[in-house]
Amino acid sequence: MTPSARTIGMLIGIPVLFFLAFFLFPMVVVAVASITDPNGGLTVANYTRILLDQYHWDVLWVTFRIGALTTIACVLIGYPLAWYLVRIVAWAPWRRACIILLIVPLFTSNIVRSFGWMVLLGRNGLVNDTLQALGLIERPVRFLGSELGIVIGLVYILLPFIVLAVGNAVADVDPSLEQASADLGAHPSTSFWTVTFPLSLPGLMAGTVMVFMLAVSAYVTPALLSGGRITVFSMLIFQQYSTVFDFHYGGALSITMLVLTLILVAVAGRIGAAKGA
Amino acid sequence: MMALLIRIVSFAALAFLVLPLVVIMGSSLTTTSFLAFPPQGLTLSWFGKVITDASYVSAFMTSTVLAAFATVVAVIFAVPSALAIARYHFPGKRVLSAVLMSPLILPHVVLGAALLQYGTAIGLTRNFLALLVGHIVIITPFVLRAVLPQLTDEQRSLEEASADLGGKPVTTFFLVTFPQIRSGVLSGAIFAFISSWINVELSIFNTTADLTTIPVKLFNYVQYTIDPTIAAVSAVTILVAALVIIILDLTLGLDVLSERR
Repeated sequence: MTPSARTIGMLIGIPVLFFLAFFLFPMVVVAVASITDPNGGLTVANYTRILLDQYHWDVLWVTFRIGALTTIACVLIGYPLAWYLVRIVAWAPWRRACIILLIVPLFTSNIVRSFGWMVLLGRNGLVNDTLQALGLIERPVRFLGSELGIVIGLVYILLPFIVLAVGNAVADVDPSLEQASADLGAHPSTSFWTVTFPLSLPGLMAGTVMVFMLAVSAYVTPALLSGGRITVFSMLIFQQYSTVFDFHYGGALSITMLVLTLILVAVAGRIGAAKGA
Repeated sequence: MMALLIRIVSFAALAFLVLPLVVIMGSSLTTTSFLAFPPQGLTLSWFGKVITDASYVSAFMTSTVLAAFATVVAVIFAVPSALAIARYHFPGKRVLSAVLMSPLILPHVVLGAALLQYGTAIGLTRNFLALLVGHIVIITPFVLRAVLPQLTDEQRSLEEASADLGGKPVTTFFLVTFPQIRSGVLSGAIFAFISSWINVELSIFNTTADLTTIPVKLFNYVQYTIDPTIAAVSAVTILVAALVIIILDLTLGLDVLSERR
């Protein structure tokens, strides 16, 4: 063994063994369980049970619709906020305060944050009371147990991710490029869409992918805000492992979710790479 | 005109970010036995109820000890791995960094389920160690991600100088390399600690009535009852988060979004 091989072995040996034992191997066990039956024989029944059943497609459709709506809302709110924090705020202490406001939720459990929305969005919660007082609605809107409530909760949880990703990208754009564009007679909006926005796209794409992944795989927020009326895919997985104890079918559900999300991430990455090039 | 619109959206977004936290803190002070916001009267009795309840205290302890152990191990795993990745060429390097980073994008419910199934087979379920291994897996990437960018090629000549002067590799690491990556290790470790402290999706598979973390305990409770006790526990976790962030801001500086010229 060469000296550097020994050094590398000492540096990564234990972490590698640990990740093999407690990360890769457990994932392999799930994958194997998903293609076997309780007697150990090979089968695709667990997958056909998912793919040939309309119920699973309905749940997937709801899950991905919630994920897409959450992502769109996060981008529409997050991009302007990131822009505001990087480009508009001139007073550094206020920006620091804003960043603290952005990170405190990130450091607080999903439970606590969703719980806040359970209180706010209730039948007699602050949101319904305010909307009624303003005369915008006549009767309380049902937020809890609706997709809208879950989307509000998820946007709340995931917004900081996109703001940080976009903010870092915008902060890295050299302002002299916009200056050059303006000097050449471009309208500010033209400069934005042709110069700054394309340069911030990799950050936006990274943030978007992360938000979408986290939104479709979220369990806690949908579980708390669905009021038991809406089912998303992660709940099916949780049910199988916590109450039904069917590891074979549960494994197939896990792998299905993993594969679908990875495909979407790969597609998004492709689009991002093509646009960024 | 556009700038005004951006300001309006931003102020609304900032209000949106603060609102639930204010509501939780506010309603934890109510004198009513049900949750009320704005609070009716002011009392700290719900906080008193929490800190005198042994089950909450024990859950807080479990969460903290778990996060502390997991963070220490994550740092011990991530820093040497980062060194190997940044300083050496070896076959499978890309695979190694991909594997060590992938818990960041893997749905935690899937990983939790996988660890439960695997743990059932090898007899590692529903105890502290089972919780710990899962938490180490999900938080190691946070440290790795923070440390890797700080290991630059320019540091090599300093390390070589130290070696030429007779410094052993371990001495060189602690006297030369570590001081240059300290802020990355610290910020990575803090993110790792917090990610462990607030985790539900992974922990929930391996907790029991006697061994539970504070977020899992809250999760199980909130699904059945909502009362000011829950608001008080939540308020404590928000205050801890705010405290950590303010310390982080004062020591490392969190002004991450200023324009870099």
